[in-house]
Amino acid sequence: MSADATKVLDLENGPTDEELVAETVKGNLASYDELIRRFQSRLYGVIYHLTSNHEDTNDMLMEVFDKAYRSLPTFRGQSSFYTWIYRIAINRTFNFLEKRKRRQGAMSLNEIDEDGLPKYDMPDPIQRNNPSKSSMLNELQNKLNESMLGLSKEHRTVVTLYDIQGLAHAEIAKIMGSTEGTVRSRLHYAHKQLQKSLGIYLRR
Amino acid sequence: MNQKEDFTELQKLLRLKRLETPGQEYFDRFVDAFHRYQRQEILREEPWYTKLVEVLMEPWVAGVPRLATVAASAACLVAGIGFFLGPVAPGSAPLADGKVLHSKGILVASNPAEDSLQIQPELIDTAAGGEVTQLRPLYVNGHGAVAYDSRLAF
Repeated sequence: MSADATKVLDLENGPTDEELVAETVKGNLASYDELIRRFQSRLYGVIYHLTSNHEDTNDMLMEVFDKAYRSLPTFRGQSSFYTWIYRIAINRTFNFLEKRKRRQGAMSLNEIDEDGLPKYDMPDPIQRNNPSKSSMLNELQNKLNESMLGLSKEHRTVVTLYDIQGLAHAEIAKIMGSTEGTVRSRLHYAHKQLQKSLGIYLRR
Repeated sequence: MNQKEDFTELQKLLRLKRLETPGQEYFDRFVDAFHRYQRQEILREEPWYTKLVEVLMEPWVAGVPRLATVAASAACLVAGIGFFLGPVAPGSAPLADGKVLHSKGILVASNPAEDSLQIQPELIDTAAGGEVTQLRPLYVNGHGAVAYDSRLAF
């Protein structure tokens, strides 16, 4: 392939994450905005599926991008930016979950449902156009979130990254700083736990 | 794999969770919201000496008053005040235009264009007096922008 052809290809694909990082460190803030646009939706998903709360997710996402921005000079490129920022998001969410767990005793009544469990945010996209199924989906969603929150944070993370976000075992291992074997075994355990608690909703 | 180990239906159910997203409108506005968040964070950041006093006073707060801790806190506070009230080092006085002030690792700068979110690299070089610098810009603060030197920032 000629040099010109490569250039055209690069322009079509846009700059890589690492190029955007380098530009950001040089002071080009528009490059960081582009990185935010690339990762906002995926990181939102990770944080949301760990916290089950949209408001907390929004706050955490801001914190994650702010922390990453401030830490960019220490980013040495030993891992990809993608792995690095996922790690920041997961670590910070874990810290947040620990704090939330500690203050759960002091939770206000409007944060708790009638069974004494934390209230979850309900998704509305699937309910909006189908009111007749809304109640059933609501129940299912509730149960799904409850079951997810019943898992340890490590197990919930592998389920989120693998089943919901569709990442490969190897990518998850890099993000979580563990081996592929650990990821597979956590996934298997988590699936078994979820299967147990969601059994009545699953067709056989 | 036996039937109990088949997670296909479970995985289909879990994929439903992909729908739990706030929608494109939220993401379209996220970058702007993030800029606002950063501005607020910069304004809200506690100065280092406040944090230092908090750390030093912790034994007192915990109910174990230590004279040495209190004395050290007071000394640090006085030294800190003296440091900040002292004259700005030569060579880093405010410039008439280009609007920069470089003092002990903190650079405050503004761009001619009020709405610009970016400090031009040349402006940073000017502020750093041509030194090798690791100055990094933060987002716009009012009509100006703030940058800091990661080696010296506290």
